[in-house]
Amino acid sequence: MYSKLSKIAGVSLLTFAAFTGNAYASNKCTIGLAVANLQADFFNQIKLSAQDEGKVVGCKIITVDARGDSATQVNQIQDLITRQVNAIIYIPAGATAASVPVKAAKAAGIPVVTVDRNPAGAPGDTFIATDSVAAARALGNYVAKLTHDKANIGIIQGQIGTTPQIERSKGFMEAINHYPQMKVVERQASNQWAQDEGFKIGQDMLQRNPTINVIFGQADALALGAAQAAKVAGEKLIIVGFDGDYAGLQAVENGVLAATMTQQTQRMGRLAVTSAVKLIKGEPVPKEQLLKGTLTTKANVKKFIANHP
Amino acid sequence: MKTVMTSSGSKPDKTSYQSHLVLETLKSVQGPLIGLILLCVGFSLSSEYFFTLRNWLNILDQITVLGIVSIGMTAVIIIGGIDLSVGSSLALAMMMAGWLERSVGLPLEVSIFLGIMTGALCGLCSGLLIIWARLPAFIATLAMMSVARGIANLLTDGRQVVGYPDWFTNFATVRLFGFVSITMLLFVVLAVLAGLYLRFRANGRNLYAIGGSTEVARLSGIAVNKITLIVYGVSGLLAGIAAMTLMARLDSSQPSAGVGLELDTIAAVVIGGASLNGGVGSIAGTIVGVLIIGILRNGLNLLGVSPFFQMVIIGVVIAVAVSFDTMRRKSR
Repeated sequence: MYSKLSKIAGVSLLTFAAFTGNAYASNKCTIGLAVANLQADFFNQIKLSAQDEGKVVGCKIITVDARGDSATQVNQIQDLITRQVNAIIYIPAGATAASVPVKAAKAAGIPVVTVDRNPAGAPGDTFIATDSVAAARALGNYVAKLTHDKANIGIIQGQIGTTPQIERSKGFMEAINHYPQMKVVERQASNQWAQDEGFKIGQDMLQRNPTINVIFGQADALALGAAQAAKVAGEKLIIVGFDGDYAGLQAVENGVLAATMTQQTQRMGRLAVTSAVKLIKGEPVPKEQLLKGTLTTKANVKKFIANHP
Repeated sequence: MKTVMTSSGSKPDKTSYQSHLVLETLKSVQGPLIGLILLCVGFSLSSEYFFTLRNWLNILDQITVLGIVSIGMTAVIIIGGIDLSVGSSLALAMMMAGWLERSVGLPLEVSIFLGIMTGALCGLCSGLLIIWARLPAFIATLAMMSVARGIANLLTDGRQVVGYPDWFTNFATVRLFGFVSITMLLFVVLAVLAGLYLRFRANGRNLYAIGGSTEVARLSGIAVNKITLIVYGVSGLLAGIAAMTLMARLDSSQPSAGVGLELDTIAAVVIGGASLNGGVGSIAGTIVGVLIIGILRNGLNLLGVSPFFQMVIIGVVIAVAVSFDTMRRKSR
């Protein structure tokens, strides 16, 4: 039995080797895509659009997923460097600590495109993200309009210290601070920007502070979790999210979320690939490429569902 | 690799004691070793980047943390226990060192020492819960896992500590003679010491006696409680040391570090031929297990296999590697 098993394993490994063996010779351009966490739809959408764009420009895209752990991500970037990719698209997993991979890639002479989060000490050659401060400000103003400038707000934050968490808080507060009757009464951070976290945090928030009438989830998944918590508690709240991922948009259409801020996910993935190609060719690319988010409500959600930007 | 393959198949050479020892060690880890060699052959054939010195050094670099923690886990599993708290202890040790340096203002050397001691303290707490409160190891370390993760987050309110001096991060990034970094060296030295200790010291052998049967061990005069406490303490201590290597590598301390690390270490130890029932296991086997996990992740990344498919492959390999070993034992 034992020898049989080892034979089977040996044969299958060799077939595996034969299959993959001819794959690496055919492509002249290879781009490594290091994603923070593919369980988050936002990142998964970027991955899918980057892969599509890779086909268009004739580059092979190799995706690695850190599952939210920066130690894993450092290993993966190391592997991409060994694999001699021509450029790396890098969505940092941890918060500020993400500078190590950029330094390693630069040391190996590989250009880096950072997306969504930019390491403070060692920024990428170009940084692509939504202008989160402006977007969150617009969202804050919309909430003020909905509540007639009077609200007790609970904020479910993303992972503390990450670029989007900091900027979404900043922009939202810039708007809220204009209205003396709008107060942030609760705020709590999540680790993974995930829906189950949003549910738990939202439930506890409502338990602690029943005066809350608005919840801002800093990602659609967090907002959706909070919406579920409000539903379970039998409360009617105004809940807004951020991202405009597919589930979030549907929730806006169904009235579960009052609004979300749609990011140009598809365009981000495409832009990351085209920027990487430019960097490989040595063409100039701006240090920062900020894309606009669009305030999405029931009025305009249909076109985003039909055709995501 | 080739020499390993042929020697493990041939009869033991009794002319010199040393080579006899090497052969015996190889034979004891035969099952996982074959799996490891198959993996290496497969990856070498399918990726031109795999079998290069640079990549092997990368792999060694990548398994340092997992390897150091797995040494402690091996001892724990040999005495028939389990330590679920290692990942959290690692995070706490790391955050403690970072917090002491940044917020309290201690010199980094002192903070590192106290960070490592914090890891040891976590292990000792689990050990005390097990021998005094008579909690099952699973529950005691599960509790410790939650407590340590909580404190790790409390210290800085969930924020990371970033940016250590160069002399410290150089331990992980500068390769001596263009070859090994201090942290890799540390892992190798710890592994060799632990392997020799378990193999040749009476106290090391006692671990197997405890894992075989606690009652018999106690009756034959082994200080079971004391050894249990020490084993969990050492497991925590090693998690603390691993924390410092990770801190140097990431140039930061993160409260979310090491999530799921306990499962990776347990997998490595079991792939290496240890039994979760206790009494069986070796450092050599564990090192092979750690290498299998490390090489698998590295190789699949080099090949550009989809991350979702990677999870499937890793699960299958763990199952296959362990069944190899159990089948071999049965067929004897």
